[in-house]
Amino acid sequence: MMGNILVLAEHRQGSLREITFEMLAIAPQLSSDMGGEAVVLLIGSGVDEMAVKIASYGVKVLVIDDPLFEDFNGEKYQKVISAVIDDLKPSVVMTGHTAQGVDFMPPLAVEKRLPLVMEAIALEYTDGALKATRQLYSGKVNAIVAFKPADTYLVTIREGIAEAPEITTAGPVEKINTPLKEDLDYRKFVEYIEAEVGDVDITQSDILVAIGRGLKEDKNLPLIEELAKAVKADIAGSRAATDAGWISQDRQVGTSGKTVKPKLYIAMGISGAFQHVAGMKGAKTVVAINKDPEAPIFNVADYAIVEDMFKVVPKLTEKLKELKS
Amino acid sequence: MMRGMIMISETNSFTEKFDLLGCIQCGRCTGGCPVTVRADLNVRRFVYDAYNEEKLDELARLAEIWDCTTCNTCAVRCPKGLKPLEVLLALRSMVVESGKVEPTVRDALQSVLLEGNPWEKPRAIRCDWMDGLDVKMAEPGVPVENLFFVCCTIAYDPRLQIIARNMVRILNKLDLDYGFIGTDETCCGSEVRTLGEEGLFEMLIEDNTELLNSFEAKRIVAFSPHCFSVFNTYYPDLKSEVIHYTQLFDELVGENKIPWRGELQKKVVYHDPCYLGKLSGVYDEPRSVLQKIPGVELLEFDRCRERSLCCEGSGGKMWVESHSKKERLAETRIKDARALGADIVAVSCPFCLLTLEDALKGLGFEEEMRVAEIMELLGEVVEE
Amino acid sequence: MKTFVCIKYVPDTSEAEVKVNPDGVTVDSSRFSFDINDADNYAVEESVLIKEARGGDITVASIGPKQSDVMIRMAMAKGCDQAIRVEDDRIAGHDPLIVARVLAGAIKGHECDLVLTGCMAGDDGHMATGAALAEELGFNHATMVKKLEILDGKVKAYRELEGGLMEVVELALPAVLTIQTGINEPRYAPIRGIREAQKKELKVVNLEDLGLDPNDVDAEASGVILEQLYIPEIESAAEFIEGEPDEKAEKLASILVKGGLV
Ligand SMILES: Cc1cc2nc3c(=O)[nH]c(=O)nc-3n(C[C@H](O)[C@H](O)[C@H](O)COP(=O)(O)OP(=O)(O)OC[C@H]3O[C@@H](n4cnc5c(N)ncnc54)[C@H](O)[C@@H]3O)c2cc1C
Ligand code: SF4
Ligand code: SF4
Repeated sequence: MMGNILVLAEHRQGSLREITFEMLAIAPQLSSDMGGEAVVLLIGSGVDEMAVKIASYGVKVLVIDDPLFEDFNGEKYQKVISAVIDDLKPSVVMTGHTAQGVDFMPPLAVEKRLPLVMEAIALEYTDGALKATRQLYSGKVNAIVAFKPADTYLVTIREGIAEAPEITTAGPVEKINTPLKEDLDYRKFVEYIEAEVGDVDITQSDILVAIGRGLKEDKNLPLIEELAKAVKADIAGSRAATDAGWISQDRQVGTSGKTVKPKLYIAMGISGAFQHVAGMKGAKTVVAINKDPEAPIFNVADYAIVEDMFKVVPKLTEKLKELKS
Repeated sequence: MMRGMIMISETNSFTEKFDLLGCIQCGRCTGGCPVTVRADLNVRRFVYDAYNEEKLDELARLAEIWDCTTCNTCAVRCPKGLKPLEVLLALRSMVVESGKVEPTVRDALQSVLLEGNPWEKPRAIRCDWMDGLDVKMAEPGVPVENLFFVCCTIAYDPRLQIIARNMVRILNKLDLDYGFIGTDETCCGSEVRTLGEEGLFEMLIEDNTELLNSFEAKRIVAFSPHCFSVFNTYYPDLKSEVIHYTQLFDELVGENKIPWRGELQKKVVYHDPCYLGKLSGVYDEPRSVLQKIPGVELLEFDRCRERSLCCEGSGGKMWVESHSKKERLAETRIKDARALGADIVAVSCPFCLLTLEDALKGLGFEEEMRVAEIMELLGEVVEE
Repeated sequence: MKTFVCIKYVPDTSEAEVKVNPDGVTVDSSRFSFDINDADNYAVEESVLIKEARGGDITVASIGPKQSDVMIRMAMAKGCDQAIRVEDDRIAGHDPLIVARVLAGAIKGHECDLVLTGCMAGDDGHMATGAALAEELGFNHATMVKKLEILDGKVKAYRELEGGLMEVVELALPAVLTIQTGINEPRYAPIRGIREAQKKELKVVNLEDLGLDPNDVDAEASGVILEQLYIPEIESAAEFIEGEPDEKAEKLASILVKGGLV
């Protein structure tokens, strides 16, 4: 249908992922601008409850419910969505820019020769043209990308750019048959492996002191530990800090680490790459110390210090100790 | 098969190259080695063991080969004229050739290759320290009296840029023919050599010789003792004489050319950098410059000149952390300075400045004393 | 195992100020340093580890300028055997689907069991090229691989999902894997190795050499237009604490304590 947006619901291990609802804050408005409506496609096995939940946001939900879709499999998703596009001819197919979305959207675009924009942070439809905003150089530059006219536009949406809308009158739930009839032998899901649990669970911490590549060397760690001790914080960090071995994997904050919501988050020597910010923007108060005045971390900070962290931290620790005693 | 044979003859040369058979195992090298108080390094042992070529691989895997600061004490003390530290550097080379170096070392070396400095900074911003200054640039083929060579660390580290900036301000005040090189200036290779990257060091010697010779310089004035020492020792084809800036200033103060504008009523103790002192024999000039600063009372460490205590800043130690939890030598040095009642620890090397200042902060002595490069002190008392 | 590893030469902008050129669609890169894309570096290392364990042969494929040869030689010094560099101004590099089409052109016609790419490029960050390449080649694929095991005719790939969860999948070869940083520790390429690698073959080709029709991969062929680049407004209401380093530290400490934050 002209103007319709097909939103792909995302779920894992039995629960819907937040991005599904975030897209419901974007798709209905955009589809009405485009003269159509938003329709959600839910692929899975035994997903009745999820379907009802999504429908409660006032959208129509199409459900493909089959044991073949017990677990996520990018190749299967590609086949199904390809068939659904042929069938429903939506103007836009929208998925999350997630480990799922990035796995099947690019091949789908190649297969169907459709235009694709990855990780949009905004979408606008004016004068018959669809334009997306996305980011380059880890957030230092924005780009406006225009789709050339096509039957269907493919787009993945960055996580966390919108908030789930209010629940309204439930929309209809409609089951459709699976276009995929048998299992694939060339890509098989084997299992999930949970991240190792360490000694502290940073998702429960009230205060986090987070370090990034700016720490430079592990010999600088004691400085941070001292600060953390002074304010009874736990230490967390960016992926760069994990890769360097300064902190254990289970203390990594961000898309491939933990999502944290502490009362206070002190980010030091962290540039604020989106993947990192995604995990900590729920913090109530954010302090950022970075020597680069352009660092994107300042965009999410409440208090900012542009300075070499090593010039600030010792004094900060000292002063905090003094004021708290 | 051929490859293996080449390898063996190469390792055989360990014995010849370092004259291992000349060693009488007297132990004077280890006896004087400053890092023995902190690390497990026993350099005499390496001189002994490296004779057995089958053991080289095993030796190269020992962490302590990275503890040597290349202070040169062992070479100065050896009665047989051996250079024990070179055995350690050759073992480091074996690790470098295998590619399995610490990530920090990897990144520093790669940055030298790609950007001409070990600090992972773009070559294009090498001269940003000049912003707002009127700097005379040297031009290839045009004769220049003093061609300045700015060390990478001074060029990029905001803490150290003041050394170069003060230099330019003072030079502009004097009637001196000088020039700077610009963004083509490339790492001298001193730390590349001590990190064991022989191939890269050879390449730098070749490229830098060509670059430096393209300027018709009467002499090259190096900011850092490391560049100074390495140019004089490992660059046989340089056309120009190379001096350290303290030597230039010794001349200038001698000729009464410095327009003093103030005094420095301080007790200053001078720390001999290994690469200026033990490796190059320049002990007097920095002292004479300091002494001429109005108001300065110059003190001496007990361990000074040839016996000066290494600050542990060199030998690639900027990129390899020693795992010892024992007191850093730089901390010992600062404590000694405090015991002397010094207000200022004066240095003439960027690495000494960084390590000693770090130690001073670590000890919490910032209120009572400070570490300063001679050029910083000059900036405070010379008219601009 | 015949492996292709696709790498890209990118600017390091983590500490640099980025400025948009007057044309509005490119950035001024004159003050950046360039190097292999971070994730691609891990892909190179992984390909060499596989070769060391199982034997085989690795080809580097890259689209980029002459200056990037040093990056390719470094990969060769680490153990890659030969390289193809595509240099052609007509390629619409802003569209990862086009980039994938060109890379496929460089790989097709060669024997190939495995293709490794980085999972994301640090400059444009699409996270699309590797997966799109798989489709172009008709290979299986898995994205964001943080660990892998080669089995008989198959590969077991550990995909890193949000929240640190790993999804383990088994793929039949040939396959494309997009490699995540942290999968290994990339080695150093010593200069002697790089010099030695000068002897290895590095083919520089254009679209015609690859048998690609320029009309298939130029800006016209792309389904998207890069209209405009701009520097985003700092959107936060952050309070910037000013002063000397010590003052900043003191002010922050009192804000945190008085505000009851610590
Ligand atoms: C699929 C995927 C998942 C990812 N998941 C995550 C994730 O979960 N979490 C995560 O964090 N990242 C993640 N990343 C990586 C992310 O893209 C960034 O590369 C990473 O967050 C960068 O870490 P950083 O900020 O510590 O380092 P950089 O980006 O290198 O920034 C270092 C910062 O330190 C500053 N600095 C340097 N020295 C000092 C000093 N002395 N004083 C003050 N400031 C200084 C610099 O100005 C710079 O801003 C992921 C990437 C991908 C592709
Ligand atoms: S150079 Fe100095 S640190 Fe190295 S072995 Fe010799 S005495 Fe010890
Ligand atoms: S000082 Fe010289 S002769 Fe004595 S043990 Fe050391 S290397 Fe051998």
